[in-house]
Amino acid sequence: MAAERVSTIVTEAGEADTLVSVEGVSKKFCRSLKRSLFYGLRDIGAELSGRSRHSDVLRTGEFWALNGLSFELRRGEALGLVGPNGAGKSTLLRLISGLIKPDAGTLRVRGRVAPLIALGAGFNPVLTGRENIYVNMSILGLSKKEIDARFDEVVDFAEIGDALSAPVQTYSSGMAARLGFACAVLTDPDVLLVDEVLSVGDMKFRMKCLRHMGKLLERGTCFILVSHNPHAILTVCPRAIYLAHGKVAAAGDTSSVLSQYEKDTFSTSFEDNGEPLHLPPKPAEESSGLDIISVCFKDEFGSSLGSPLTGKPASICVRCKAHRAMSGINLIVAVSNLSVENERVLYLSSHYDGRPMNVEPGEVELQLELPYCGLSAGLYSAKIVVTEKSVQTLDAVESFRFRVRSESTAVQNLFYQPREWRAKIVSPGDKN
Amino acid sequence: MKPAPAIKSSHYAESVYTPWSELRQPGRLLASMWRDLFTSRGLAWRLMIRDISAHYRQSIFGFAWAFLPPIVMAAGFTLAGNAKVINIAATPLPYAAYVMFSMILWQTFVEALNGPVVAVMNARQMLSRVNFPREAIVLAKLGEIGFNFLIKLVLIIAIFVWYQMPVTKAALLAPFALVSLVLLGTFFGLLLAPLGVLYHDVSQGLIVVSGLWLFLTPIIYPVPQAGTFATIVKLNPVTPLLVTVRELATTGVVSDPGRFFIVTAATIIGLCVTWVVFRLAMPFAIERVSS
Repeated sequence: MAAERVSTIVTEAGEADTLVSVEGVSKKFCRSLKRSLFYGLRDIGAELSGRSRHSDVLRTGEFWALNGLSFELRRGEALGLVGPNGAGKSTLLRLISGLIKPDAGTLRVRGRVAPLIALGAGFNPVLTGRENIYVNMSILGLSKKEIDARFDEVVDFAEIGDALSAPVQTYSSGMAARLGFACAVLTDPDVLLVDEVLSVGDMKFRMKCLRHMGKLLERGTCFILVSHNPHAILTVCPRAIYLAHGKVAAAGDTSSVLSQYEKDTFSTSFEDNGEPLHLPPKPAEESSGLDIISVCFKDEFGSSLGSPLTGKPASICVRCKAHRAMSGINLIVAVSNLSVENERVLYLSSHYDGRPMNVEPGEVELQLELPYCGLSAGLYSAKIVVTEKSVQTLDAVESFRFRVRSESTAVQNLFYQPREWRAKIVSPGDKN
Repeated sequence: MKPAPAIKSSHYAESVYTPWSELRQPGRLLASMWRDLFTSRGLAWRLMIRDISAHYRQSIFGFAWAFLPPIVMAAGFTLAGNAKVINIAATPLPYAAYVMFSMILWQTFVEALNGPVVAVMNARQMLSRVNFPREAIVLAKLGEIGFNFLIKLVLIIAIFVWYQMPVTKAALLAPFALVSLVLLGTFFGLLLAPLGVLYHDVSQGLIVVSGLWLFLTPIIYPVPQAGTFATIVKLNPVTPLLVTVRELATTGVVSDPGRFFIVTAATIIGLCVTWVVFRLAMPFAIERVSS
């Protein structure tokens, strides 16, 4: 198979290399349903009369979902697509799969397209897994013979084993998604369109999918990956496009596009000034004996730190006002990664670590000292809870948001690994 | 596991999507229509098997549903006729057999009429997510109608045996006339299918219209010979087709071959035009449903 593909590339040279070409493509939509349906009717009329439907002009109530987008995708290339909801990502994928017609510009697509917008398209819940594999892969364009040849591989990949003869409605959502994914990727697509499907399934399956996509890339498949998870995009796509309001806001190498995207996304919703978080004083009747006054970061010298640096020392300092003397005070810091679907990355508790603290009446600063900040660059939210003897909650901060900066450009690291490099001489050789 | 053989490279063809109407390149359009019809056979078969087996797996009475409506209808009208509640002229066949047989034909027509609209509605999600030859879902529906008719054929044979009705050689031609009846239904249905995606009024309207249409077709009464009502019944395009199937299967004498051929020819031409309309309209209809 690889040989056949290679020969295609050689004989057709140059042109065969480009699988997807998008030239100045625009698409408009209408938010009002009634009007949208009516426009649909008018467009059908224009299409049937063979005249131009003047699609390059906006009608009342319409807006550009995509506006003048251009890019090319060659064999073996992977392109990441990021952007806020409604930026036109899904519209772009639907245009490339040929489901809808562009309103301006031209799209050229070569080869078999497998849209992973459509996990398990045509699955009937009453039918068995086996029957649904045949239906789904037929819809994706394979003949019975071609499905027969891939059947075992699909079952193997989806890890459904015994459930093959059970109706799909008895499957867990993860199983159904795995089956859908296996059907789609094993059609040997030339162009694979992946829309947020990597969020289904467990970690193990996600890794397996990413590995398989890597294999497809080597075989010459190209794909577009839409994801809210920057790590998924970083792992597979060297290039990315950041779409906003139907236009390209940034394009180029993935890490710079992603940092632009993160900057835009969080700067509006969150003041990234690294100021300490101050809490209003609590009325006496609401207090349980200890109130949090402020939360901030400090460096190793005790001076306030706006945002910690990856790999450098930092302390989370929780300043409290204690109304009485207490023993067995426990500080819990639970950190979630805002950039990766709020995934919990740290859960630190002084009680778990066997380090209870005692406080005297007055102001006290509970400190969690990190010899080096292990978090990679990004946006995080920390939930901070102070309890007495690990059961009685005294006070809590739901979300203390902070940014971790990084001095290095090694964006591929999931966390900071303290390290040393050296060349150690084991046995000296002859010195001639 | 040995690696799967390579998929044939017919898919290497380049697809170009532009805002222009496909009618501007009629040659290309016709070629792609022919290619899609050809490649959609396998998929249509698969979808038909899916729909039929899913349907019967979730049903206790299964095949009985194919038999019940005509039997109930015949029983009702025979009772009403015997009690002189309604006044029906003498039919060329025993009345109960006449109603049952005609009802089966009518049901098949209505299935063909609703087929494309229902098929497109049920496949909305699939249509808005995967680009497969749209012809497949219509072909699958036609196959299902054929399958349903084969079941009903059992009832038809039972009727013929029970009422000892003679069969002539002309009965061999009845299937062709039946096909033409199914195509007429498909023609109307296919025309409405893209609209049905946009507006629910279409499927609602079809129920009302087919209810009225039933009484304008000689099913529970013989073909009327004079009066305004007779003219309306004659102008109804279903009449010559349904009556011809019935006549070929029973008496073997076709009363109005001219009208039959005219309606059949118009149906075939109409169906070809509607096919083009369906193809061109579907992307615009799909665009308006969310994925």
